[in-house]
Amino acid sequence: MTWRLVKPILQENLYIKVNKNNLDQKLRYNDGGNVHMDFHGATNTTIKFIIDKYGIDTMNDIFKKVGNNVYKNIKDHIKKGNIKMLAKHWQHFFERENADYNISINDEEIILTVNRCTAYEHVRKLVGNVSPNFCDQTIKTNEALAEDTPYEIKTEILGEAACRQTIRKRA
Amino acid sequence: MIPSDHFTRFYNEVFKFLEDQGEEHLEAYWLEISKNQEKHTLELFKEKGLKGMYEYWDHIRIEENCDMDLKLDDEKLELRMNVCPSLSKVLDNDAEPMKRYCDHCAGWIGPLIDKVDHHLVYDVIDRNKPQCVVKIFKDKEKAIEEEKNAKLLMGWPKKKK
Repeated sequence: MTWRLVKPILQENLYIKVNKNNLDQKLRYNDGGNVHMDFHGATNTTIKFIIDKYGIDTMNDIFKKVGNNVYKNIKDHIKKGNIKMLAKHWQHFFERENADYNISINDEEIILTVNRCTAYEHVRKLVGNVSPNFCDQTIKTNEALAEDTPYEIKTEILGEAACRQTIRKRA
Repeated sequence: MIPSDHFTRFYNEVFKFLEDQGEEHLEAYWLEISKNQEKHTLELFKEKGLKGMYEYWDHIRIEENCDMDLKLDDEKLELRMNVCPSLSKVLDNDAEPMKRYCDHCAGWIGPLIDKVDHHLVYDVIDRNKPQCVVKIFKDKEKAIEEEKNAKLLMGWPKKKK
């Protein structure tokens, strides 16, 4: 099994792979321009508000809708076996948010390791107390992305502002 | 992580859920967002008035990539949003946009402007187009007069009469 760190070369690697498979290599949402990190503060406020008023299941249902509907395009790629589109999505947005991360790819799985999540850190700086459910946005959205596909996405919280996300074929 | 670039699409999902619960649920959420925004705007608006509001929205214009014109004079601040990135993203979305997505903006800004004794006139023009005109007046009578020119005037929770 050969592993490689792909942060610097992922773009080119994906481009070649995706073209070979004749799949659309463009990200559905491909934002540019400035990044407004304060939106993570509003996400934190929203998570607290929804859980306090309606309970955690409601919050999780909303994240499920984000995974299934907002990210329908990535989910469709995963269904077809093109899990590299998810890696490309990770790379694009973690790069834009200046996170400390790396992505490893082999034939069976893709692993995103986030050593320093700038979203989490920004909220901590902004409001002091980050919701204990802040990372559910990642966990639950990932679960929804993988639901009804041949793949699973496992999200492990490694500590504050750190996690590992792995997509691999279900056993 | 839902990227900050995609926050508005997440926001849209939250709005749809709350709208299904009833208007008062949606309004309670807007008020919560308004309270959250107070942390970095209330003092600025109280201390500097229209000039402070100009500073805040000028920062937002840059950071949120808005195509927006800002005009400040002694009586009012005018924000002319030519292309709103927030609604643009919600419309460019694989999930269904909430029909009244624009309403949230007046929903959180209105209560904040009421608190600092200024007067908001929020003309959304058309909920399906990413553009709007916001005018904030020092003088209440001028705001009331301006409301007559609005194409689609927005209200907000507990709007001052």
